[in-house]
Amino acid sequence: MERNKMIRTIVIVAIIVAIAGYFASGVYQIEPSEVGLVKRFGRYVRMAGPGIHYHLPYPFESVTKTDVLTLRKIEIGFRTVSTAPLTFREEQEESLMLTGDGNIASVEAVVRYRVKDPTKFAFKVLDDYTLVKFFTESVIREKVAGRTIDDVLTKERDVIANEAAQKIQELLDELDAGISIQGVYLQDVSPPEQVADAFYDVINALQDKEKLINEAQKYANDVIPKAEGEAQKILNEAEAYRQEQILQAQGETARFLQVYEKYKKAPEVTRRRLYLEALEEILGSQKDVLLLSQSGQLSILNLTDIERLVGGGEK
Amino acid sequence: MMAKIVGVVIILAVLFLVILPSAFFIVDETKQVVVLRFGEIKQVVTKAGLHVKAPFIDKVVKLEKRFQMYDVKPDVIYTADKKNVVVDTFAVWRISDPKVFIESLKNLAVAKTRIDDVVYSHVRDIFAKHQFDEIVSEKREALLQEVTKRSKRDLQDFGVEILSVRVKRTDLPDETLNAVFNRMKSERYQKAAAIRAEGSREAQKITSDADRQVRVIEAEAQKKAEELKGEGEAIAYEIYASAYSQDPEFFSFWRSLQAYRKAIPGDYIILDERSEFLKYLLNPTQ
Repeated sequence: MERNKMIRTIVIVAIIVAIAGYFASGVYQIEPSEVGLVKRFGRYVRMAGPGIHYHLPYPFESVTKTDVLTLRKIEIGFRTVSTAPLTFREEQEESLMLTGDGNIASVEAVVRYRVKDPTKFAFKVLDDYTLVKFFTESVIREKVAGRTIDDVLTKERDVIANEAAQKIQELLDELDAGISIQGVYLQDVSPPEQVADAFYDVINALQDKEKLINEAQKYANDVIPKAEGEAQKILNEAEAYRQEQILQAQGETARFLQVYEKYKKAPEVTRRRLYLEALEEILGSQKDVLLLSQSGQLSILNLTDIERLVGGGEK
Repeated sequence: MMAKIVGVVIILAVLFLVILPSAFFIVDETKQVVVLRFGEIKQVVTKAGLHVKAPFIDKVVKLEKRFQMYDVKPDVIYTADKKNVVVDTFAVWRISDPKVFIESLKNLAVAKTRIDDVVYSHVRDIFAKHQFDEIVSEKREALLQEVTKRSKRDLQDFGVEILSVRVKRTDLPDETLNAVFNRMKSERYQKAAAIRAEGSREAQKITSDADRQVRVIEAEAQKKAEELKGEGEAIAYEIYASAYSQDPEFFSFWRSLQAYRKAIPGDYIILDERSEFLKYLLNPTQ
């Protein structure tokens, strides 16, 4: 009897625990970035925000958790191999894209998206990753195909990214997929590695050109000021010469005029005196003076002759 | 008493675990269901929730309700202008009519082959009628809409709805790819050469212009210098002339004396008696 009672107690406790456990299985937790979609017999009935919640146990209700805040990211044309240190691997099959002018560019991009409408996202889309990835690849290729390689590599980058994001969003909205594209970000947009050298050569050529022009400019900046200096020097010299000429003339004529003033007062005397002074000076420094006569003879001139000629002048 | 309780529990358990699951079925939001009885379609359920069926004999086939992606295998397509291009397409599709789907296609694997056949043939048909440049450009959008339209029409009869057909990639076959790479390279090298040539042209322009400026600057300076010198000389001559013209004869005398002083060197001197130079030396009274 005692034994039966104990067994009964154990069975009852076991049943109670089992039932309690069964009902407790309906407790669930929603993380801050998630929402919970509660389904009753598979049919969506309500949405639950972050926190601890309860739903009826299986098979009555179940919950599907969807992360709605976290940005989902898909890499196009490359894969992140490891995050520390950050290393990437190019996926040429994805990254090589034909451009509108028949060239090929290597385009690497990232698309970020998040859940806009959790019910649509959870119940309408089987594989959001593949859907967004394929759409992104398709749209970026279209955008690249509408442009020349130079535009793709340089100024149209942003335009491509913006237009692509818009277009992907349109396509997803057509499907009513409950996905919001946050942005398309072009990463490395470059010439394919097979032709990279040739592209870099163009960049080098631009630098070479710049260098040649700079050197020429440097030369011009050097020679022109020098020439201007030289010109100034020539002008200064000429100016000096001009003034020198004038001053010299003024000086000489002033002297002449002064002498002439005196001469006018006593022409004969002055004239003789000037003459003799000059002679004295010229001939005084000579050892010999030779005279070539009309007959072609050379004769030594002596001062007495001169004095005689002059008429026994003054000393 | 004890036996009774145990009996009730066992009956309830059997009811819950065996009969109920067999008589009811749950359709999830993401699924649609076809109920088969010995191969015959008894019900089609597209609405999520709890539904009833005949226990044991009815079989539930669950089908996907959500969009699915079908990646059509890439293949070479010859375009209207005889170029070949590898086109990689994909289709977004869903099962729109489970009844027709089960009747005509049986299962997913068969369905995929059918989608592949239809979409691929339309892609091929339409792309082959167009030029390479049209396919590889933003005009592609219009072609794809046509492919989507046709594929949609053809697959409707199989309970499959095609929502979108898109080209994931258009690539060049390897041989063509290398040809393009080679062309790109030579284009770039040409461009580089042109840029360098342009650079030396610009540099030449600048240096030769500088040289020109240098010569002009110097020549102008020379010109001005000559003018200045001439001006100086002219003024000087005028000064001389106005001073000396007061008495040319005396000037002649006076200036000659100065010249003699300067012009006659040391040691000895030879003079011609008749020379003008000696005019005053030999005839001082004249």
